[in-house]
This record gives sequence, structure tokens and C-alpha cells, in this order.
Amino acid sequence: MGKYVIKRVLLLIPTMLLVCVIVFALMRMIPGSAVEQVVYNYKQNGMVITYEEAEAKLGLDKPAVVQFFIWIGGLLRGDMGKCLFRGDTVWSVISAQMPITLELGVMTLLLTIIISIPLGLICAAHPDSPADIIIRTLAIVLASVPVFWIGTMVLVYPAVWWGFSIPLTYVSIFDNFFANMRMFLVPAIVGAITGAGNNIRAVRTMTLEVMRQDYVRTAWAKGAKESRVMYQHAFRNALIPVITLFGGAAAGILGGNVVIENMFNIPGIGQQLVTALSNRDYPLAQGCTVIMAIFVMIVNLVVDLAYKWCDPRVNLE
Amino acid sequence: MSKEKKSSGKPRNGFVEFMTLLWRTKKVAFFGMVVLILFILVAIFADFIAPQKMENGLLSSHLMEAAQAPSLKHPLGTDAMGVDLLSYMIYGARTSVILGVSCTILSTLISVIIGVASAVIGGKFDLFLQRFIDAWQCIPGMLIMLILMTMLGAGMGSMIVVLSVPGGIGGSRMIRSAAISVKDSGYCNMSKMLGGKNLWRMIHHVLPNILPLVLMNLANSLGGTIMMEATLNFLGFGVNVGTPSWGYILTSQGRSKMYTAPWIGLAPGLAITIMVFAAAMFGDGVRDILDPRLKGGMGSFSKEKIGKIAKKYMASKKAQETA
Repeated sequence: MGKYVIKRVLLLIPTMLLVCVIVFALMRMIPGSAVEQVVYNYKQNGMVITYEEAEAKLGLDKPAVVQFFIWIGGLLRGDMGKCLFRGDTVWSVISAQMPITLELGVMTLLLTIIISIPLGLICAAHPDSPADIIIRTLAIVLASVPVFWIGTMVLVYPAVWWGFSIPLTYVSIFDNFFANMRMFLVPAIVGAITGAGNNIRAVRTMTLEVMRQDYVRTAWAKGAKESRVMYQHAFRNALIPVITLFGGAAAGILGGNVVIENMFNIPGIGQQLVTALSNRDYPLAQGCTVIMAIFVMIVNLVVDLAYKWCDPRVNLE
Repeated sequence: MSKEKKSSGKPRNGFVEFMTLLWRTKKVAFFGMVVLILFILVAIFADFIAPQKMENGLLSSHLMEAAQAPSLKHPLGTDAMGVDLLSYMIYGARTSVILGVSCTILSTLISVIIGVASAVIGGKFDLFLQRFIDAWQCIPGMLIMLILMTMLGAGMGSMIVVLSVPGGIGGSRMIRSAAISVKDSGYCNMSKMLGGKNLWRMIHHVLPNILPLVLMNLANSLGGTIMMEATLNFLGFGVNVGTPSWGYILTSQGRSKMYTAPWIGLAPGLAITIMVFAAAMFGDGVRDILDPRLKGGMGSFSKEKIGKIAKKYMASKKAQETA
């Protein structure tokens, strides 16, 4: 196990390097240069800067390969450069906004788990019963509704009918816990409900697969009580693939909530990235993407290790 | 159920048998398929059905009739620019169907080419390609789409590329693992021994054997594509202004007029939901039929069945004892 962990951690390094190459290449292929934007901004403020000067100022006059190595060198020292238009360093922006996205993501994920595991298990325990059919149909409907449509309805109708409006100004959780929860709870519920659809069905399929194993049949045949067969034999073993399922969901929490952040005006890293992309703010967009990718890699590693820890039969090498 | 078990997983006699099987065992999936076909027909004959015709690729606006509630003249009402909403929806179906169909086919094609080539060629090529895909999959899919969309600009062409390339690269994993198991089978090695080139083996041996998986992939990615199109439109990276699109009108007008003119948001929202729902139902049915692992419900493993067998056994034992 120890050897395996070390091997996996070492394998992260080339993958990370490749991610950096992909992100850098993608960003440089975006047309519409940031240089023109800078020249324009200077002009707006009554200052004059030539195109070449602006290019040199941004470090865009060097060949792309040189730029890449400068960027990577900075990354290794924990320096992601400066935002082009905000004057802050990229890291200060990201470190301020990552906790917000993480909070929303963790809340959404927890709610998704709370909703989907029990419902999925109910479906699996009584396959093809009315309850199963109703829950499954509902799950597919939920997965089919555009999240921004539900979100807008949630924003508009309660405000009109009952005068309840969701606060759209961000308050830190450390300043005011209740105000923070007031803002985050509704987006998290909306995200969890729309995300639960697919997870309910996945939990059901995984549990049913376990219930078709020989040892479950043996347990039934031995005359074990229903609760014992369900909890001791079926559900416990079904938890193994379910952990992988939600592990995958956990990897996506940093980059997967762009729509919800955008809709409920939550100043997270996803929304920041959309703005950075439309402003052509390369360093910021690169920084955000790389941080998200690193997060995905680390969570995936942890999930794999947890999987191995839960199920000693698994041979990951 | 017994009929379903007999035909072991694969459609033996092609399309017609598959359809009968779908109709017999998966009514809901069949219904989903009918809905999808209806949408496709609406998309094809949009010019004949729509009450307000497109002129030079645009639906002209009549500001005098802006934001009218549904009436006999405008069954779904009009939007904020006075365009008949029913016509807009019908032309929007065309956009959705074009995007949905072409992206599903293109992304499956990309998956198949990458997956099969990687499996059959193997060696260094496979290693490097897989490391690249590893890295690619670490970047959240939505971000790649946004970056690509910024790169290519708005419009249908770039939408097709953006909605199919990332999904295609991600989906190649599944195809590759299936292709590897086929590649190592006896007939494939025999073909290699007889001098079959890589391309020959890919087309004649590997591809026919992973076809069920490919079909499954096709049926399952349709719903996601349509949903993603709407989501990209919401984030402001979508089709050109003027191209009718459900996602676009839901975002640009449906949301801001949610209270004053709720019908503008209702129609496209429902249309997206119905289409994605139908696609999901159809995809599920196809998967249930083509994937033998998922078939047959609980069968002999259900509690009731085992109980019956046990009762029979006990009864026969009792009969023996008394006799």
C-alpha cells in the first residue's frame, strides 16, 4: 500500500505538467489579444501606451515557449503572476474565492448524498414496485430540467408570492454564520436536487448489482431476516461503488458549479473564470484552471486510495 | 421477460428485431424514441408547420405585438420582440436537433477512433495518448467547453465542435477498454498472425464486436448534448443572436420576464425538459437491452423466488418424512 501511494503521488507530477501544457496551449489559442485591451484601458484613463510597450509589460513579447517556462517556473515557486486588469496577484484572487466555491460545493454534495443514497436504496430494496417507479421517474425528470430554469423560478416566484427573497450579496461564514447560510442554502438545495437525479439511479443500479450476488441469495436462503440481509449483506457492499460515485462528484465541486454561482451571484472561482475568459485575462484564467485540475487530481487520488482501503480485493496496480 | 432473456444481449436480425424488442420490453423507452422522432420531424418540416415563416434566416419582430399572452392567433404567446413564440419554438427545435444529432454522432466517432486506435496500436502510442487523456480529464469539462467556445467564437459550427470534442475524448476510455478485450481474443490474434494490418483488424474485427457499446454511447449522449447547449447559452457562450434556440430565449428573455410574461420561459424550459427526458428514457432502454449485465431485473435472486423454492423444498422434505 505504501509503495502504491508513493507511485501514485509520483505519477501526479507528469500529469500535472501535461495539464499545464494543455491549459497554456488552450489559452494562447484564444483570439483577441489582451494587449489591445490594455492599450484601450490606458486610453480610457487618459494615458498613452504603444502596442509594443503594452506587450512587453505583459510579457507577451517573448516566444510562447519562453513564456511557458516563465509561467511554470513561477508556478513551482508558488507565484502565479499578476492579474492583467485588477492589480492583484492571481494567487490572492484565487485564495479569496476558492473557499466560497468549496463551501457551496461541499454543501451541495452533502445534500445530494443525503437525498440520493436513501432514495436509491429504497428503489433497490423494492425493485419495480410503485415507489421505485415513481422515484425513478422523478429522478429522470429532475435530471432533465435545466438547472438555470429552476433556479430562476426559485429566485422569482417566492419573492413575488411570499416576499421571500434570497440575499444576493456575499457574507463570509466567519462574519455572520446565519446570513451566510441564508445565502448558500437555497443554491445548494437547487444544485443538489438537480444533481440528485442521476445519482439516485446510479445508487439503485449499484445496489441491485450487489443484490444479485451469490452471497445475498445464500443469506436469503439461510432465512436471514430482511433487515439483516439488506443492511449487512447488500447495502454494506453496495457502499463501495457508491463511494467512487460520490468521490467523482467531489472532484467536480470546484469546477462544476459555474451555473449556480453565476445565477445566485456567488463570487466563486467558477464565476471568476468566466469573467477572466471574456476579459482575456490569461494569468488569472490559467491559474484558476490549473488550481481546479490539481484539486481534481488530488481528490481522485484520495478516492482511489479510499476505494482500496474499503475493498481489499481491489488490485489497483 | 423470458423473451428478453432468450435473445442474448445483441440484436440478431438487425434493426426491426431491435425495435420489436424495445416495444415489447421497454414501453417507456419506445415512447421516448417516438417523442424524439416527433421532434426531428418538427425540425425537418419547420418551414411548413410554423405559423410565422423565417425570412432570410430571421424571424421578423412585430413590436406592436410584444409580450402577448397566449391567444388563438399566437398559441404560445409572443416574446419581448413580438415574435410568435410557437414559430420560435419550432425553429428552435431545428437548432436543437441539428446540434443534438451531429454532436452525438461526431463525439461517438471521436471516441471510437481514439479508443479503437489506442487499443489496437498499443505500445508507446497508447501510453502517451492515455496520459494525455488523463491530464485532459483533470480539467473540468465545463471549463474546457468555455475555453473552446471563447476560442472559436459564437455560432453553430463552433457549438458542434465544442459539444462533441471534449465528450468524445472523455468517452474514448470506455471504448478503449472494450476494444482491448476484443483485441486480445483468439480471432484477432489469428488475424494478426495471418498478416492483418492494424487498420484491417480495427474495421473487421474490433469494430463489429464493440458495436453494442457504440450504439449505447450514441443513445446516451443525446440528452447531455441538448442540456449542455442550453447551459452554454445561459453562460453567454452560445449560438449567434438571431439563431432560434431554446436555451437562448430561456436565458435572454424567459428569465428577465419570468414574472411579467411567464409563458416566454415556460415553453422553452418545458421543451428542453421533454426532449432531454425522452432522450434519457430512450438511452436507458437501449442500454438495458444491449448491456447483458443490467438485464432481467432480480430474476432468480429475488426474495420471493428464493422463498418459494425454500417452501417447496421444506414441503417435499416433510412429505418424505411422513412417508
